[in-house]
Amino acid sequence: MPSRRFSRPRAAVVVTAAVALLLAACSPGGGTPGEPSGEPVEGGTLTYASGDAEPSCLDPHVGGNYPQALIATQYLESLVSLDESGEVIPWLATEWQEGDDGLSWEFTLREDVQFTDGTPFDAEAVAANIAHVQDPATASSTGYLALAKIENVVAVEDHLVRLELSMPDSALLESLSQIWVAMESPKALERSQEENCAAPVGTGPFVVDEWERQDSVTLVRNDDYTSPPADVPADAGTGLPYLDTIVWRFIPDSASRYAALQSGEAQVIDNAQPDTIRSAESDEAIQELDAPRPGAANRIELNSGKAPFDDERVREAFVRSVNVDEGIESLFFGTAERSYSPLSSVEPLGLSLPELFTVDTDAAAALLDEAGWTERDADGYRVKDGKRLTLDFPVSTNQSIPAEQSLFEQIQADAKEAGFEVRLHPLDLSSWYGALAENDYDLVSAPYTKVGPDVLRVLYHSDSIEPAPSGYFANLAQVDDPALDDLLTRASATSDPDARQSLYEQAQRIILEGYHVLPLYDQQNHFLHSSTVQGLRAMPTVSTPTFAEAWLAS
Amino acid sequence: MSRLRGAVVRATAFRPTAAEAIAGVVLALLLVAALWPNLLAPGDPLAVSRAEAFRPPSPAHLFGTDESGRDIYTRVVHGAAESLRIGVLATAIGIGLATVLGFVAGLGPRWLDFGTTRLVEVLFAFPGLLLALLFIVVTGPGVLSSTIAVGLATAPGYARIIRSQVRRTAAAEFVEAARVLGRGRFWIITRHVLPNVTAALFVLATLGLGQAVIWVSSLSYLGLGAVPPAAEWGAMLAAGRTYIANFWWMTFFPGLAIVASAAAATVVGRGIQKRNRSAA
Repeated sequence: MPSRRFSRPRAAVVVTAAVALLLAACSPGGGTPGEPSGEPVEGGTLTYASGDAEPSCLDPHVGGNYPQALIATQYLESLVSLDESGEVIPWLATEWQEGDDGLSWEFTLREDVQFTDGTPFDAEAVAANIAHVQDPATASSTGYLALAKIENVVAVEDHLVRLELSMPDSALLESLSQIWVAMESPKALERSQEENCAAPVGTGPFVVDEWERQDSVTLVRNDDYTSPPADVPADAGTGLPYLDTIVWRFIPDSASRYAALQSGEAQVIDNAQPDTIRSAESDEAIQELDAPRPGAANRIELNSGKAPFDDERVREAFVRSVNVDEGIESLFFGTAERSYSPLSSVEPLGLSLPELFTVDTDAAAALLDEAGWTERDADGYRVKDGKRLTLDFPVSTNQSIPAEQSLFEQIQADAKEAGFEVRLHPLDLSSWYGALAENDYDLVSAPYTKVGPDVLRVLYHSDSIEPAPSGYFANLAQVDDPALDDLLTRASATSDPDARQSLYEQAQRIILEGYHVLPLYDQQNHFLHSSTVQGLRAMPTVSTPTFAEAWLAS
Repeated sequence: MSRLRGAVVRATAFRPTAAEAIAGVVLALLLVAALWPNLLAPGDPLAVSRAEAFRPPSPAHLFGTDESGRDIYTRVVHGAAESLRIGVLATAIGIGLATVLGFVAGLGPRWLDFGTTRLVEVLFAFPGLLLALLFIVVTGPGVLSSTIAVGLATAPGYARIIRSQVRRTAAAEFVEAARVLGRGRFWIITRHVLPNVTAALFVLATLGLGQAVIWVSSLSYLGLGAVPPAAEWGAMLAAGRTYIANFWWMTFFPGLAIVASAAAATVVGRGIQKRNRSAA
């Protein structure tokens, strides 16, 4: 039975209190809750309930997806981090220097850091980690693409390491801030992949203790923790982390996850459903952390690598015939805003072109006629040369929340009016990867998170049609445009901010005006947590929550 | 055939209990919904109306609307065809297969009886739903494979009952008499054994229909049968589950339809069974 509905009038006092609380909870950065109140309490066990797919490997070098990033943030750390304004700040590396030709970078490393297996953190460790990510046997995808330009790693001194590049990389620091290329103990990396996947060893505030498959991962406090990123106040550094244990549970069903939060069985849940976010607004015991992911916006990619979307007119007709705005409005209860850019709204260089995406069914019909899809069959679908205008749309039920799946159903209904037969195929993650690998799709929605606009090169450079060692290829729209390749290559090699901005703007214009993508909204990343959880924040890098400074108020 | 007709005539001559009367009405409504859905709900079950999403039950939308503003009453009515068709088909497959197995075992030579009976017993050792899941794992999800899966999974249970019925009839004196009179095997089976088994089959089928509807809905609920946005009760239940904290009607009404149809089929089936027994 419903516990509460939003429309139900409640005592004005409660509403006012809730509004006040809300205002307090929303800082301009969006990623941080209010100042922790009172003195931090040490100890305690926190339960985190995740709705993302359970990773098959806890080492984010392997593959490299968001569920891995979420949990690995608790036990692995990177060379650099970002602060709230997006500036690169020291973490395991204290300073860095780019060579004059842009082809070599020197990083000075912290000298007082040890991995939790006792191995010292030094230049050799950095070299071993980059080698691990680049080794085809590791089957890395996200990390592999992020480090593609690193050719050679030289341990100059014990705590000084030089990265030599094949060409200048303006995104290098942003790439290195990501958890997918975090530092792991070189000794631990020498173990078999199976062993390392079960319990990666890092320098982070927590240590992987036990992994009960299909149920939970238990993380325990790293008693020797010394290395928070530079945006953590120095005086907090000694006692961190406050929590003794984190139980990281996997509860795929969203209603059960929310029930677990309400009953106190879990203190933090991710992938909160829009309707529960709204109904939690009036509940003082529950607070929200909204941390849109950087990199690409959530979008539908139109596969231009094969018919019928190899014809730009058909792509435009599709985009022009589906009404996304109203669906987002009603399905997301105001928790998501429509995007008109290939980039996330947290990316300063994102280019938004709303005028390209206004619904115009007449124009769509004219375009389809022009492209030769003139006839209609008995079911009302357009036909050309006896072939129905059919679009296969594999949907990952692990990555698309139910509201998004409903949005796709609405798109299907709209497209039917225009004469497209959209076939939705709800699939589990591995079958979904399978469908992509077989090129068995015309439409697909795949989240991609990376810090900075260089994500455009990963997603839309023709090189990315070639699969990475993991078998995944990121250019799912299969955009193959030499002019675009050139812009993206130049942009990633330019460190001049103005030139870089202009190049990325031109690139986005090509992607949008070619109707290769239908942008939907930022990658949704809503967390709900009990008000007893204090000091929880999202990393400004890839927006994963960190529990390094979190504590449980009694 | 006379015996079956007799049973039906006698059943109608009996005064039905209140529960049976209600169950009968529910089944009749379901039948109408399945055959002529537009009589009960003229709308389009797939029509999206974003402005009317998440409306609670009201005179305009008797059962409320879902997340895309589709009318749940219309979807439940149109879903009857899907759910019942799959249920009837699955039951038919189950009983058809069971009849063949049962007759082979009941009338065939000893070794054949031994073989089929053991096979049925082995299959019987698996819970039915597990057997259905196993089949779907092999063939892949979809409406057709979930129908066949449920049919196959229910067959062993039916086969056992039919075999014992066949054996009992085959040993009866009038069959013996027919054999002594020199009637052929085929004549005996079609004229004596089959009619005597049919009455039991009819009851089994009615009871089985209720069970099959539940199983098929379960498979769709798990995402192994009908896919969204099809108006299938199990699939609707699965879609509404996400919103159960705030919008109860999205799960309540499809759930009610499943419970009502399964209960009605069971009550009617039991009623016929009871009367058959007392008449015998």
